Amino acid sequence: MPAHRLKKEAPYLLFVLPAFLIYTTLTILPTLTTFLYSFTNYDGLSPHARFIGIMNYVKVMTTGNVVNSLKNSIVYGFVTPLLVTLLAIPLALVLNGRMRTRNMQRSIFFFPSVISALFVGYIWNFILSPSSQGLINGLLEKAGAKKLLLLADPHQAMGYLILVSVWCTVGWHACIYLANLQVIPTEYYEASYMDGAGPFNRFRHITLPMLAPAMTTSVMLLITGNLKAFDLPFALTNGGPGYVTTMITQTIITEGVSANRVGFASAMSFIFFVMIMIVTMVQLRVMRAREENLS
Amino acid sequence: MKLRRYTPRTFILELIMLCLCAVFVIPLYYLVVSTFKSQAAIIQSPLGLPLPPTLDNYRRALEVMSFFRNFGNSTLITSVSVVLIVVFGSLAAYSIARRKTPLMAFLGFYFLIGFMVPVQTTLIPLFRIMKTLDLINRYGGMIFLHSNGCVFAILLYRGFIRTVPMDLEESAFLDGAGPFRTFWRIVFPLIQPITATLIIFNVMWIWNDFLLTYLFLSSTKKATLIMQVYNGIGLYMNDWSLMMPVLVLALAPMVIFYLLMQKRIIGGLTSGAIKG
Repeated sequence: MPAHRLKKEAPYLLFVLPAFLIYTTLTILPTLTTFLYSFTNYDGLSPHARFIGIMNYVKVMTTGNVVNSLKNSIVYGFVTPLLVTLLAIPLALVLNGRMRTRNMQRSIFFFPSVISALFVGYIWNFILSPSSQGLINGLLEKAGAKKLLLLADPHQAMGYLILVSVWCTVGWHACIYLANLQVIPTEYYEASYMDGAGPFNRFRHITLPMLAPAMTTSVMLLITGNLKAFDLPFALTNGGPGYVTTMITQTIITEGVSANRVGFASAMSFIFFVMIMIVTMVQLRVMRAREENLS
Repeated sequence: MKLRRYTPRTFILELIMLCLCAVFVIPLYYLVVSTFKSQAAIIQSPLGLPLPPTLDNYRRALEVMSFFRNFGNSTLITSVSVVLIVVFGSLAAYSIARRKTPLMAFLGFYFLIGFMVPVQTTLIPLFRIMKTLDLINRYGGMIFLHSNGCVFAILLYRGFIRTVPMDLEESAFLDGAGPFRTFWRIVFPLIQPITATLIIFNVMWIWNDFLLTYLFLSSTKKATLIMQVYNGIGLYMNDWSLMMPVLVLALAPMVIFYLLMQKRIIGGLTSGAIKG
Protein backbone atom coordinates (compact mmCIF):
# COMPACT_ATOMS: atom_id res chain seq x y z
CA MET A 1 0.00 0.00 0.00
CA PRO A 2 1.40 3.44 -0.92
CA ALA A 3 2.26 5.70 2.02
CA HIS A 4 -0.50 8.27 1.56
CA ARG A 5 -3.19 5.59 1.35
CA LEU A 6 -1.83 3.87 4.42
CA LYS A 7 -2.07 7.15 6.26
CA LYS A 8 -5.65 7.54 5.17
CA GLU A 9 -6.58 3.99 6.13
CA ALA A 10 -4.66 3.97 9.42
CA PRO A 11 -7.41 5.41 11.64
CA TYR A 12 -9.92 2.90 10.29
CA LEU A 13 -7.56 0.03 10.94
CA LEU A 14 -7.14 1.35 14.45
CA PHE A 15 -10.93 1.28 14.86
CA VAL A 16 -11.01 -2.42 14.02
CA LEU A 17 -7.95 -3.29 16.10
CA PRO A 18 -9.51 -3.79 19.57
CA ALA A 19 -12.31 -6.02 18.28
CA PHE A 20 -9.79 -7.88 16.11
CA LEU A 21 -7.45 -8.57 19.03
CA ILE A 22 -10.20 -9.69 21.41
CA TYR A 23 -11.87 -11.94 18.86
CA THR A 24 -8.60 -13.43 17.65
CA THR A 25 -7.44 -14.22 21.18
CA LEU A 26 -10.76 -15.54 22.45
CA THR A 27 -12.29 -17.25 19.43
CA ILE A 28 -9.94 -17.88 16.51
CA LEU A 29 -6.77 -18.91 18.36
CA PRO A 30 -8.53 -21.29 20.78
CA THR A 31 -10.55 -22.87 17.96
CA LEU A 32 -7.40 -23.57 15.95
CA THR A 33 -5.65 -24.86 19.08
CA THR A 34 -8.57 -27.16 19.85
CA PHE A 35 -8.28 -28.51 16.33
CA LEU A 36 -4.54 -29.19 16.83
CA TYR A 37 -4.99 -30.72 20.29
CA SER A 38 -7.58 -33.09 18.91
CA PHE A 39 -4.83 -34.96 17.02
CA THR A 40 -2.59 -35.39 20.08
CA ASN A 41 -2.64 -37.26 23.37
CA TYR A 42 -2.07 -34.02 25.30
CA ASP A 43 -3.25 -34.20 28.92
CA GLY A 44 -2.95 -30.54 29.83
CA LEU A 45 0.12 -31.08 32.02
CA SER A 46 2.87 -33.13 30.40
CA PRO A 47 5.08 -31.16 28.00
CA HIS A 48 5.48 -34.17 25.71
CA ALA A 49 2.27 -34.44 23.76
CA ARG A 50 2.42 -36.83 20.85
CA PHE A 51 0.66 -36.69 17.49
CA ILE A 52 -1.72 -39.63 17.37
CA GLY A 53 -3.66 -38.94 14.17
CA ILE A 54 -7.39 -39.47 14.25
CA MET A 55 -7.27 -41.79 17.28
CA ASN A 56 -9.20 -39.32 19.44
CA TYR A 57 -11.96 -39.06 16.86
CA VAL A 58 -12.22 -42.84 16.68
CA LYS A 59 -12.35 -42.97 20.46
CA VAL A 60 -15.05 -40.29 20.64
CA MET A 61 -17.28 -42.18 18.22
CA THR A 62 -16.80 -45.47 20.08
CA THR A 63 -17.13 -44.29 23.69
CA GLY A 64 -20.62 -45.04 24.92
CA ASN A 65 -20.99 -42.04 27.21
CA VAL A 66 -19.92 -39.57 24.56
CA VAL A 67 -22.13 -40.98 21.83
CA ASN A 68 -24.96 -41.02 24.33
CA SER A 69 -24.47 -37.37 25.28
CA LEU A 70 -24.30 -36.42 21.60
CA LYS A 71 -27.62 -38.19 21.10
CA ASN A 72 -29.11 -36.36 24.09
CA SER A 73 -27.98 -33.02 22.71
CA ILE A 74 -29.51 -33.83 19.35
CA VAL A 75 -32.84 -34.86 20.89
CA TYR A 76 -32.91 -31.79 23.11
CA GLY A 77 -31.62 -29.54 20.33
CA PHE A 78 -34.35 -30.50 17.87
CA VAL A 79 -37.42 -31.44 19.91
CA THR A 80 -37.40 -28.23 21.95
CA PRO A 81 -37.28 -25.94 18.87
CA LEU A 82 -40.06 -27.94 17.24
CA LEU A 83 -42.35 -27.63 20.27
CA VAL A 84 -41.49 -23.98 20.83
CA THR A 85 -42.25 -23.15 17.20
CA LEU A 86 -45.55 -25.06 17.27
CA LEU A 87 -46.61 -23.13 20.38
CA ALA A 88 -45.06 -19.72 19.70
CA ILE A 89 -46.88 -19.09 16.40
CA PRO A 90 -50.43 -19.58 17.77
CA LEU A 91 -49.42 -17.66 20.89
CA ALA A 92 -48.19 -14.76 18.76
CA LEU A 93 -51.46 -14.79 16.76
CA VAL A 94 -53.52 -14.64 19.93
CA LEU A 95 -51.35 -11.94 21.49
CA ASN A 96 -51.73 -9.92 18.30
CA GLY A 97 -55.52 -10.00 18.70
CA ARG A 98 -57.94 -7.58 20.32
CA MET A 99 -57.79 -8.72 23.94
CA ARG A 100 -57.80 -5.93 26.50
CA THR A 101 -55.06 -7.49 28.62
CA ARG A 102 -52.78 -8.43 25.74
CA ASN A 103 -49.89 -6.20 26.81
CA MET A 104 -49.93 -7.70 30.28
CA GLN A 105 -50.08 -11.18 28.78
CA ARG A 106 -47.11 -10.44 26.52
CA SER A 107 -45.08 -9.38 29.55
CA ILE A 108 -46.05 -12.51 31.43
CA PHE A 109 -45.15 -14.93 28.68
CA PHE A 110 -41.89 -13.15 27.96
CA PHE A 111 -40.86 -12.94 31.60
CA PRO A 112 -39.18 -16.37 32.03
CA SER A 113 -36.70 -15.49 29.25
CA VAL A 114 -35.22 -12.85 31.54
CA ILE A 115 -34.34 -15.30 34.31
CA SER A 116 -30.91 -16.91 34.25
CA ALA A 117 -31.15 -20.50 33.01
CA LEU A 118 -29.43 -21.65 36.18
CA PHE A 119 -32.22 -20.20 38.30
CA VAL A 120 -34.89 -21.60 36.01
CA GLY A 121 -33.41 -25.01 36.75
CA TYR A 122 -33.44 -24.43 40.49
CA ILE A 123 -36.99 -23.06 40.50
CA TRP A 124 -38.34 -26.07 38.60
CA ASN A 125 -36.46 -28.34 40.93
CA PHE A 126 -38.76 -27.16 43.72
CA ILE A 127 -41.68 -28.29 41.62
CA LEU A 128 -40.42 -31.47 40.03
CA SER A 129 -38.33 -32.76 42.90
CA PRO A 130 -38.86 -36.49 43.55
CA SER A 131 -38.89 -35.87 47.32
CA SER A 132 -42.20 -35.22 49.06
CA GLN A 133 -40.97 -31.67 49.66
CA GLY A 134 -41.48 -30.94 45.93
CA LEU A 135 -44.64 -29.13 44.92
CA ILE A 136 -46.17 -31.84 42.75
CA ASN A 137 -45.33 -34.72 45.06
CA GLY A 138 -46.38 -32.70 48.09
CA LEU A 139 -49.79 -32.08 46.55
CA LEU A 140 -50.12 -35.71 45.44
CA GLU A 141 -49.29 -36.98 48.92
CA LYS A 142 -51.82 -34.70 50.49
CA ALA A 143 -54.45 -35.96 48.07
CA GLY A 144 -53.57 -39.48 49.17
CA ALA A 145 -52.05 -40.46 45.83
CA LYS A 146 -48.71 -42.14 45.28
CA LYS A 147 -45.57 -40.05 44.79
CA LEU A 148 -44.11 -39.81 41.30
CA LEU A 149 -40.45 -40.17 40.36
CA LEU A 150 -40.53 -37.03 38.21
CA LEU A 151 -36.95 -35.85 37.61
CA ALA A 152 -35.57 -39.11 38.98
CA ASP A 153 -37.43 -41.13 36.35
CA PRO A 154 -34.93 -42.14 33.66
CA HIS A 155 -37.71 -42.43 31.05
CA GLN A 156 -39.20 -39.02 31.72
CA ALA A 157 -36.34 -36.78 32.84
CA MET A 158 -35.61 -35.64 29.27
CA GLY A 159 -39.29 -34.87 28.80
CA TYR A 160 -39.35 -32.64 31.86
CA LEU A 161 -36.15 -30.93 30.80
CA ILE A 162 -37.71 -30.13 27.43
CA LEU A 163 -40.90 -28.93 29.11
CA VAL A 164 -38.97 -26.49 31.29
CA SER A 165 -36.96 -25.31 28.31
CA VAL A 166 -40.17 -24.67 26.37
CA TRP A 167 -41.58 -22.75 29.35
CA CYS A 168 -38.67 -20.37 29.43
CA THR A 169 -38.31 -19.71 25.69
CA VAL A 170 -41.80 -19.77 24.19
CA GLY A 171 -42.64 -16.18 25.16
CA TRP A 172 -39.44 -14.80 23.69
CA HIS A 173 -40.04 -16.54 20.38
CA ALA A 174 -43.70 -15.56 20.32
CA CYS A 175 -42.44 -11.97 20.46
CA ILE A 176 -40.19 -12.55 17.44
CA TYR A 177 -43.24 -13.76 15.50
CA LEU A 178 -45.34 -10.94 16.93
CA ALA A 179 -42.89 -8.37 15.57
CA ASN A 180 -43.17 -10.02 12.18
CA LEU A 181 -46.99 -10.20 12.28
CA GLN A 182 -47.14 -6.45 12.73
CA VAL A 183 -45.43 -5.80 9.39
CA ILE A 184 -47.75 -7.98 7.28
CA PRO A 185 -49.65 -5.52 5.06
CA THR A 186 -53.38 -5.55 5.88
CA GLU A 187 -54.28 -5.40 2.15
CA TYR A 188 -53.52 -9.10 1.89
CA TYR A 189 -56.17 -9.89 4.46
CA GLU A 190 -58.67 -7.48 2.92
CA ALA A 191 -58.24 -9.14 -0.45
CA SER A 192 -58.78 -12.55 1.09
CA TYR A 193 -62.06 -11.39 2.65
CA MET A 194 -63.21 -10.39 -0.81
CA ASP A 195 -62.36 -13.88 -2.00
CA GLY A 196 -64.31 -15.33 0.92
CA ALA A 197 -61.37 -17.21 2.44
CA GLY A 198 -61.97 -18.76 5.88
CA PRO A 199 -59.68 -18.28 8.89
CA PHE A 200 -57.79 -21.50 8.26
CA ASN A 201 -57.07 -20.65 4.64
CA ARG A 202 -56.06 -17.13 5.59
CA PHE A 203 -53.57 -18.57 8.07
CA ARG A 204 -52.24 -21.11 5.60
CA HIS A 205 -51.96 -18.87 2.56
CA ILE A 206 -51.14 -15.49 4.07
CA THR A 207 -50.00 -15.52 7.68
CA LEU A 208 -47.78 -18.57 7.67
CA PRO A 209 -45.89 -17.70 4.47
CA MET A 210 -45.46 -14.09 5.59
CA LEU A 211 -43.97 -15.29 8.87
CA ALA A 212 -41.12 -17.00 7.02
CA PRO A 213 -38.43 -14.40 7.92
CA ALA A 214 -39.25 -14.61 11.63
CA MET A 215 -39.25 -18.38 11.40
CA THR A 216 -35.77 -18.44 9.87
CA THR A 217 -34.38 -16.33 12.71
CA SER A 218 -36.32 -18.01 15.48
CA VAL A 219 -35.53 -21.57 14.44
CA MET A 220 -31.84 -20.74 14.05
CA LEU A 221 -31.67 -19.18 17.51
CA LEU A 222 -33.55 -22.13 19.00
CA ILE A 223 -31.52 -24.92 17.45
CA THR A 224 -28.11 -23.38 18.12
CA GLY A 225 -29.18 -22.23 21.58
CA ASN A 226 -30.45 -25.65 22.59
CA LEU A 227 -27.53 -27.57 21.11
CA LYS A 228 -25.19 -25.32 23.10
CA ALA A 229 -27.27 -25.42 26.28
CA PHE A 230 -25.35 -26.09 29.46
CA ASP A 231 -26.80 -24.14 32.40
CA LEU A 232 -30.36 -25.45 32.41
CA PRO A 233 -29.65 -29.20 32.24
CA PHE A 234 -26.80 -28.67 34.70
CA ALA A 235 -29.07 -26.99 37.25
CA LEU A 236 -32.22 -29.04 36.69
CA THR A 237 -30.96 -32.62 36.46
CA ASN A 238 -27.16 -32.34 36.45
CA GLY A 239 -27.19 -34.83 33.61
CA GLY A 240 -29.09 -37.46 35.56
CA PRO A 241 -30.59 -39.76 36.48
CA GLY A 242 -27.59 -41.77 35.32
CA TYR A 243 -26.63 -40.08 32.07
CA VAL A 244 -30.03 -39.70 30.44
CA THR A 245 -29.89 -35.89 30.30
CA THR A 246 -26.12 -35.40 30.02
CA MET A 247 -25.47 -33.04 27.12
CA ILE A 248 -22.34 -33.01 24.97
CA THR A 249 -21.51 -29.59 26.43
CA GLN A 250 -21.31 -31.08 29.91
CA THR A 251 -19.23 -34.04 28.75
CA ILE A 252 -16.74 -31.69 27.08
CA ILE A 253 -16.28 -29.81 30.33
CA THR A 254 -15.98 -32.86 32.59
CA GLU A 255 -13.56 -34.62 30.23
CA GLY A 256 -11.48 -31.64 29.19
CA VAL A 257 -11.43 -29.42 32.25
CA SER A 258 -12.02 -31.72 35.22
CA ALA A 259 -10.48 -34.97 33.94
CA ASN A 260 -7.74 -33.29 31.86
CA ARG A 261 -8.22 -35.56 28.85
CA VAL A 262 -7.47 -32.59 26.65
CA GLY A 263 -6.86 -34.32 23.33
CA PHE A 264 -9.96 -36.47 23.68
CA ALA A 265 -12.19 -33.57 24.77
CA SER A 266 -10.82 -31.42 21.96
CA ALA A 267 -11.88 -33.98 19.39
CA MET A 268 -15.31 -33.99 21.00
CA SER A 269 -15.63 -30.23 20.97
CA PHE A 270 -14.47 -30.03 17.39
CA ILE A 271 -17.09 -32.55 16.31
CA PHE A 272 -19.60 -30.47 18.23
CA PHE A 273 -18.52 -27.32 16.38
CA VAL A 274 -18.77 -28.97 12.99
CA MET A 275 -22.21 -30.30 13.91
CA ILE A 276 -23.47 -26.82 14.82
CA MET A 277 -21.95 -25.32 11.70
CA ILE A 278 -23.55 -27.88 9.37
CA VAL A 279 -26.94 -27.64 11.08
CA THR A 280 -26.93 -23.84 10.97
CA MET A 281 -25.86 -23.65 7.35
CA VAL A 282 -28.35 -26.25 6.15
CA GLN A 283 -31.14 -24.68 8.18
CA LEU A 284 -30.40 -21.16 6.94
CA ARG A 285 -30.09 -22.28 3.34
CA VAL A 286 -33.32 -24.29 3.40
CA MET A 287 -35.32 -21.62 5.17
CA ARG A 288 -33.96 -18.72 3.10
CA ALA A 289 -34.88 -20.64 -0.04
CA ARG A 290 -38.31 -21.12 1.45
CA GLU A 291 -38.60 -17.38 2.09
CA GLU A 292 -37.81 -16.66 -1.54
CA ASN A 293 -40.25 -19.24 -2.84
CA LEU A 294 -43.01 -17.81 -0.73
CA SER A 295 -42.48 -14.15 -1.45
CA MET B 1 -59.60 -3.24 9.10
CA LYS B 2 -63.18 -4.07 9.92
CA LEU B 3 -62.23 -6.66 12.52
CA ARG B 4 -61.48 -4.25 15.34
CA ARG B 5 -64.55 -5.02 17.46
CA TYR B 6 -64.43 -6.75 20.83
CA THR B 7 -66.78 -9.69 20.28
CA PRO B 8 -68.02 -12.36 22.75
CA ARG B 9 -65.55 -14.72 21.13
CA THR B 10 -62.71 -12.37 22.01
CA PHE B 11 -63.99 -12.28 25.55
CA ILE B 12 -63.93 -16.08 25.85
CA LEU B 13 -60.47 -16.18 24.30
CA GLU B 14 -59.35 -13.60 26.79
CA LEU B 15 -60.63 -15.68 29.71
CA ILE B 16 -58.91 -18.80 28.42
CA MET B 17 -55.67 -16.91 27.93
CA LEU B 18 -55.82 -15.44 31.43
CA CYS B 19 -56.19 -18.94 32.87
CA LEU B 20 -53.22 -20.02 30.79
CA CYS B 21 -51.21 -17.08 32.13
CA ALA B 22 -52.09 -18.14 35.66
CA VAL B 23 -50.82 -21.68 35.03
CA PHE B 24 -47.74 -20.25 33.34
CA VAL B 25 -46.73 -18.21 36.39
CA ILE B 26 -47.39 -20.93 39.01
CA PRO B 27 -43.65 -21.74 39.35
CA LEU B 28 -42.87 -18.09 40.09
CA TYR B 29 -45.90 -17.62 42.33
CA TYR B 30 -44.92 -20.72 44.29
CA LEU B 31 -41.36 -19.43 44.68
CA VAL B 32 -42.42 -16.00 45.89
CA VAL B 33 -45.20 -17.01 48.31
CA SER B 34 -42.99 -19.68 49.84
CA THR B 35 -40.37 -17.11 50.82
CA PHE B 36 -42.85 -15.60 53.30
CA LYS B 37 -43.61 -18.92 55.02
CA SER B 38 -41.84 -21.17 57.50
CA GLN B 39 -40.40 -24.46 56.23
CA ALA B 40 -43.33 -26.32 57.82
CA ALA B 41 -45.91 -24.06 56.20
CA ILE B 42 -44.28 -24.50 52.76
CA ILE B 43 -44.90 -28.23 52.99
CA GLN B 44 -48.30 -27.94 54.65
CA SER B 45 -49.99 -25.59 52.19
CA PRO B 46 -47.63 -25.11 49.27
CA LEU B 47 -49.87 -22.89 47.16
CA GLY B 48 -51.74 -21.07 49.93
CA LEU B 49 -51.16 -17.43 50.78
CA PRO B 50 -48.68 -16.83 53.60
CA LEU B 51 -50.82 -16.03 56.64
CA PRO B 52 -49.35 -14.41 58.60
CA PRO B 53 -46.39 -13.53 56.36
CA THR B 54 -42.92 -13.68 57.88
CA LEU B 55 -39.80 -11.82 56.79
CA ASP B 56 -37.61 -14.12 58.80
CA ASN B 57 -36.41 -16.07 55.72
CA TYR B 58 -35.20 -12.88 54.06
CA ARG B 59 -33.32 -11.87 57.19
CA ARG B 60 -31.51 -15.23 57.17
CA ALA B 61 -30.91 -15.05 53.41
CA LEU B 62 -29.28 -11.63 53.66
CA GLU B 63 -27.07 -12.96 56.46
CA VAL B 64 -25.68 -15.83 54.40
CA MET B 65 -25.29 -14.23 50.99
CA SER B 66 -23.46 -10.84 51.19
CA PHE B 67 -25.96 -9.55 48.64
CA PHE B 68 -24.55 -6.07 48.12
CA ARG B 69 -21.04 -7.24 47.47
CA ASN B 70 -22.21 -9.72 44.82
CA PHE B 71 -24.56 -7.17 43.34
CA GLY B 72 -21.63 -4.75 43.04
CA ASN B 73 -19.48 -7.41 41.35
CA SER B 74 -22.21 -8.22 38.82
CA THR B 75 -22.79 -4.54 38.12
CA LEU B 76 -19.10 -3.82 37.61
CA ILE B 77 -18.50 -6.75 35.26
CA THR B 78 -21.71 -6.22 33.30
CA SER B 79 -21.47 -2.46 32.83
CA VAL B 80 -17.82 -2.32 31.77
CA SER B 81 -18.26 -5.27 29.39
CA VAL B 82 -21.31 -3.71 27.76
CA VAL B 83 -19.55 -0.37 27.22
CA LEU B 84 -16.60 -2.15 25.60
CA ILE B 85 -18.91 -4.20 23.38
CA VAL B 86 -20.72 -1.10 22.16
CA VAL B 87 -17.57 0.99 21.59
CA PHE B 88 -15.39 -1.68 19.98
CA GLY B 89 -18.27 -3.18 18.04
CA SER B 90 -19.52 0.08 16.55
CA LEU B 91 -16.04 1.36 15.66
CA ALA B 92 -15.12 -1.86 13.90
CA ALA B 93 -18.46 -2.12 12.12
CA TYR B 94 -18.15 1.47 10.90
CA SER B 95 -14.77 0.80 9.29
CA ILE B 96 -15.88 -2.47 7.78
CA ALA B 97 -19.13 -1.05 6.39
CA ARG B 98 -17.61 2.16 4.98
CA ARG B 99 -14.09 1.40 3.74
CA LYS B 100 -14.22 -0.52 0.51
CA THR B 101 -10.68 -1.92 0.69
CA PRO B 102 -9.87 -5.62 0.20
CA LEU B 103 -8.46 -5.74 3.72
CA MET B 104 -11.75 -4.55 5.22
CA ALA B 105 -13.68 -7.01 3.08
CA PHE B 106 -11.49 -9.75 4.45
CA LEU B 107 -12.00 -8.54 8.02
CA GLY B 108 -15.75 -8.56 7.51
CA PHE B 109 -15.53 -12.19 6.49
CA TYR B 110 -13.06 -12.94 9.29
CA PHE B 111 -15.50 -11.75 11.95
CA LEU B 112 -18.25 -13.80 10.37
CA ILE B 113 -16.49 -17.19 10.41
CA GLY B 114 -16.06 -17.32 14.16
CA PHE B 115 -19.64 -16.40 14.79
CA MET B 116 -20.82 -19.97 14.84
CA VAL B 117 -18.04 -21.29 17.08
CA PRO B 118 -19.67 -22.42 20.32
CA VAL B 119 -17.85 -21.23 23.40
CA GLN B 120 -17.43 -24.85 24.51
CA THR B 121 -15.14 -25.51 21.54
CA THR B 122 -12.75 -22.82 22.73
CA LEU B 123 -12.79 -23.61 26.46
CA ILE B 124 -9.79 -25.88 26.87
CA PRO B 125 -7.21 -23.64 25.13
CA LEU B 126 -8.96 -20.62 26.60
CA PHE B 127 -7.90 -21.83 30.02
CA ARG B 128 -4.25 -21.73 29.04
CA ILE B 129 -4.55 -18.37 27.33
CA MET B 130 -6.24 -16.85 30.36
CA LYS B 131 -3.60 -18.35 32.62
CA THR B 132 -0.76 -16.98 30.50
CA LEU B 133 -2.35 -13.53 30.56
CA ASP B 134 -2.86 -13.92 34.33
CA LEU B 135 -6.57 -13.17 33.95
CA ILE B 136 -8.10 -16.08 35.87
CA ASN B 137 -10.09 -15.00 38.92
CA ARG B 138 -9.96 -11.34 38.02
CA TYR B 139 -12.66 -8.84 37.18
CA GLY B 140 -10.55 -7.82 34.19
CA GLY B 141 -10.54 -11.40 32.97
CA MET B 142 -14.31 -11.68 33.03
CA ILE B 143 -14.66 -8.33 31.30
CA PHE B 144 -12.19 -9.44 28.64
CA LEU B 145 -14.12 -12.67 28.06
CA HIS B 146 -17.49 -10.94 27.83
CA SER B 147 -16.16 -8.19 25.56
CA ASN B 148 -15.91 -10.86 22.86
CA GLY B 149 -19.62 -10.12 22.44
CA CYS B 150 -18.46 -7.29 20.18
CA VAL B 151 -18.51 -9.81 17.30
CA PHE B 152 -22.28 -9.99 17.51
CA ALA B 153 -22.37 -6.19 17.84
CA ILE B 154 -20.33 -5.84 14.63
CA LEU B 155 -22.84 -8.02 12.82
CA LEU B 156 -25.84 -5.94 13.92
CA TYR B 157 -24.18 -2.55 13.50
CA ARG B 158 -22.77 -3.39 10.11
CA GLY B 159 -26.16 -4.31 8.68
CA PHE B 160 -27.65 -1.12 10.06
CA ILE B 161 -24.85 1.25 8.98
CA ARG B 162 -25.28 0.03 5.40
CA THR B 163 -28.82 1.40 5.43
CA VAL B 164 -27.67 4.86 6.63
CA PRO B 165 -26.99 7.30 3.75
CA MET B 166 -23.42 8.58 3.52
CA ASP B 167 -24.20 12.25 2.70
CA LEU B 168 -23.88 13.50 6.27
CA GLU B 169 -20.51 11.85 6.75
CA GLU B 170 -19.23 13.26 3.46
CA SER B 171 -20.20 16.80 4.36
CA ALA B 172 -18.59 16.39 7.79
CA PHE B 173 -15.42 15.34 6.01
CA LEU B 174 -15.53 18.40 3.76
CA ASP B 175 -15.82 20.52 6.90
CA GLY B 176 -12.51 19.02 7.99
CA ALA B 177 -13.68 16.54 10.60
CA GLY B 178 -11.37 13.55 11.07
CA PRO B 179 -12.56 9.91 10.97
CA PHE B 180 -13.10 9.60 14.71
CA ARG B 181 -14.93 12.90 14.99
CA THR B 182 -17.16 11.97 12.05
CA PHE B 183 -17.92 8.62 13.61
CA TRP B 184 -18.59 9.98 17.07
CA ARG B 185 -20.62 13.07 16.12
CA ILE B 186 -22.48 11.84 13.04
CA VAL B 187 -22.60 8.05 12.82
CA PHE B 188 -22.82 6.98 16.45
CA PRO B 189 -26.00 9.01 17.18
CA LEU B 190 -27.62 7.61 14.03
CA ILE B 191 -27.09 3.99 15.03
CA GLN B 192 -28.63 4.56 18.46
CA PRO B 193 -31.52 2.06 17.98
CA ILE B 194 -29.05 -0.80 17.56
CA THR B 195 -27.04 0.45 20.53
CA ALA B 196 -30.15 0.29 22.72
CA THR B 197 -30.96 -3.25 21.60
CA LEU B 198 -27.37 -4.36 22.15
CA ILE B 199 -27.17 -2.84 25.61
CA ILE B 200 -30.37 -4.50 26.74
CA PHE B 201 -29.57 -7.95 25.43
CA ASN B 202 -25.96 -7.91 26.54
CA VAL B 203 -26.93 -6.79 30.03
CA MET B 204 -29.25 -9.79 30.21
CA TRP B 205 -26.70 -12.25 28.81
CA ILE B 206 -23.72 -11.07 30.82
CA TRP B 207 -25.60 -10.61 34.08
CA ASN B 208 -27.06 -14.12 33.73
CA ASP B 209 -23.88 -15.79 32.52
CA PHE B 210 -23.01 -18.94 34.37
CA LEU B 211 -20.65 -21.04 32.25
CA LEU B 212 -17.77 -18.56 31.86
CA THR B 213 -18.05 -17.27 35.42
CA TYR B 214 -18.14 -20.84 36.74
CA LEU B 215 -14.91 -21.67 34.93
CA PHE B 216 -12.95 -18.43 35.23
CA LEU B 217 -14.03 -16.66 38.42
CA SER B 218 -14.12 -18.97 41.40
CA SER B 219 -13.15 -16.51 44.13
CA THR B 220 -16.11 -15.99 46.46
CA LYS B 221 -15.11 -12.38 47.07
CA LYS B 222 -15.43 -11.56 43.37
CA ALA B 223 -18.45 -13.79 42.74
CA THR B 224 -21.38 -12.42 40.75
CA LEU B 225 -24.91 -12.79 42.08
CA ILE B 226 -25.56 -15.87 39.95
CA MET B 227 -22.29 -17.46 41.06
CA GLN B 228 -23.00 -16.74 44.71
CA VAL B 229 -26.23 -18.70 44.52
CA TYR B 230 -24.37 -21.58 42.91
CA ASN B 231 -21.56 -21.46 45.51
CA GLY B 232 -24.05 -21.62 48.34
CA ILE B 233 -26.15 -24.37 46.83
CA GLY B 234 -24.72 -27.06 49.12
CA LEU B 235 -25.59 -24.85 52.05
CA TYR B 236 -29.18 -24.11 51.05
CA MET B 237 -30.13 -27.29 49.23
CA ASN B 238 -31.91 -28.95 52.12
CA ASP B 239 -33.42 -25.82 53.55
CA TRP B 240 -35.82 -24.49 50.97
CA SER B 241 -37.04 -21.73 53.26
CA LEU B 242 -33.52 -20.34 52.96
CA MET B 243 -32.85 -21.14 49.31
CA MET B 244 -36.05 -19.61 47.98
CA PRO B 245 -35.48 -16.09 49.37
CA VAL B 246 -31.86 -16.30 48.20
CA LEU B 247 -33.16 -16.98 44.69
CA VAL B 248 -35.73 -14.20 44.86
CA LEU B 249 -33.11 -11.69 46.03
CA ALA B 250 -30.68 -12.78 43.33
CA LEU B 251 -33.43 -12.51 40.72
CA ALA B 252 -34.67 -9.11 41.83
CA PRO B 253 -32.23 -6.84 39.96
CA MET B 254 -32.99 -8.55 36.63
CA VAL B 255 -36.74 -8.37 37.28
CA ILE B 256 -36.49 -4.64 37.98
CA PHE B 257 -34.41 -4.19 34.86
CA TYR B 258 -37.05 -6.08 32.87
CA LEU B 259 -39.92 -4.03 34.27
CA LEU B 260 -38.12 -0.78 33.42
CA MET B 261 -37.05 -1.86 29.95
CA GLN B 262 -40.02 -4.05 29.02
CA LYS B 263 -41.18 -1.97 26.06
CA ARG B 264 -37.68 -1.76 24.66
CA ILE B 265 -36.93 -5.44 25.25
CA ILE B 266 -40.01 -6.68 23.45
CA GLY B 267 -39.70 -3.89 20.86
CA GLY B 268 -35.96 -4.57 20.45
CA LEU B 269 -36.88 -7.88 18.89
CA THR B 270 -38.47 -5.97 16.06
CA SER B 271 -35.41 -3.97 15.15
CA GLY B 272 -32.83 -6.65 15.85
CA ALA B 273 -34.25 -10.03 15.08
CA ILE B 274 -36.14 -9.64 11.84
CA LYS B 275 -33.52 -7.81 9.82
CA GLY B 276 -30.52 -9.74 11.21
